[in-house]
Formats: sequence, structure tokens, C-alpha cells
Amino acid sequence: MNTKSTRLRVVREFALAAALCVPLLCSTPALAKDDAGKKKAEQACAGCHGPDGNKPVTPETPRLAGQQYGYLVQALNDYRKGARDDPVMSAMAKPLTEKEVGELAEYFSKQPGLTTKP
Amino acid sequence: MYSSPMKRRCALLAASAATAFVLSVPASADGDRTRGKERAQMCEGCHGIADYRTAYPEVYPVPKIGGQQSAYIVKALRDYKKGTRKHATMQGIAATLSDQDMADLASYYAGDARK
Repeated sequence: MNTKSTRLRVVREFALAAALCVPLLCSTPALAKDDAGKKKAEQACAGCHGPDGNKPVTPETPRLAGQQYGYLVQALNDYRKGARDDPVMSAMAKPLTEKEVGELAEYFSKQPGLTTKP
Repeated sequence: MYSSPMKRRCALLAASAATAFVLSVPASADGDRTRGKERAQMCEGCHGIADYRTAYPEVYPVPKIGGQQSAYIVKALRDYKKGTRKHATMQGIAATLSDQDMADLASYYAGDARK
């Protein structure tokens, strides 16, 4: 009886521990994806668009922080395909992979910045 | 330096004209926020709705422009008007805008008055 209750307790604790691990496991890939976007953004984009895409270095450079995810993907892909043209951005976007485009768009769209209404 | 008063006057005139021209370029970029707000009614239908995607003439995710840099907004509108940036709806709208309209709209969306 005593052994059985001990075993039950062990099983219950295992189950609890496993349950607690689930959110951790789920959040890890998401974190890794954001990290990849952040890293790439710091290397490739921050020089002109500023840290987090929030402080562009020239007035004609857009803020990216908080921009719609889908718009950022569209803009980068348009530059990659040549549907949109800018001497700097066309050159920056061309070497990006589909995955990197998604990671960058995800990262910038999650930074606080642009709004729908002024 | 100048052989006659006439030549001096001409030089002075040229210099003032050049100064006026130089000064007028940045001045034309000064937007009126209030006028921009009135003009912005035509933008609200798409840009005023969070995460809006146009369905016609193509599926396109509409960018957020609240807080965007005013000079970038003006550049985008000019590029649409010139046709160097392509989007049917935006090209159609930009074609109706004067430089002053663009500056007013940019000033409104950038929130210049609050800075």
C-alpha cells in the first residue's frame, strides 16, 4: 500500500514536470527564430534603419519597427525579384533566402514603432 | 570687382535668385498637419484599418504609416506619381496629389507637430 502510493506520487510528479516542460519546449523554436531575425537585422539593416528599425539614419529611410509582417515580406521579395527598385535595398535583398526574409519580417513587425493611425 | 553698377546689380540679383531657390526647396517640404488630416480621408479606407490587405487589383498587405518618416512618405508618393514604384491604386492616388498635398499628408502621418 505504502509502495503503491509512493509510486503514484512519483508518477504524478513526473507528469507535472513533463507538463511544465511543454511550454518551454514550444517556446524554444520561436525564440530561436526571433533571435535569427534580430541577429540578421543587426548585421544587415541597423546601419541604415537604426536599432530595431526605429531610428533611420536619413529622413528618406523608412522606420520598420512595428510594420506589418506581410508588407515587409512583400517589400523584401519585390526588391529581390526586381519588382521594386532601390540601389541599396535591391542589393541588400537579393542575397536573402525566403527563410531570412520571414525571420527579418517577423522580428521587425514585433518591435514597438509604427501604428495604423498617426 | 565689378566694372559697372549695372553688372553689380545683375550679380546681386543672380545671387538673391540662387538663395531664394535654395531656400525654397526645403520650404516646399514643410507640410501642414491640419490640411494633411483633411486630405487623409482618402487614405483611411486602406491605411486606417489594422492588418488590412487589399484584394483588388492584387492582394497586397497595406503598410502602417502612422509614425513613418515624413520624407520617406513624400518619396514613396513621388515615386508612385513618377511610376518608378508600382502599385495600381497608389499610382492612381499619387497622380492626383500636388507636392504640397504630399507634404501635408506626410506631416500628418509622421505626427510632425508632436515632435
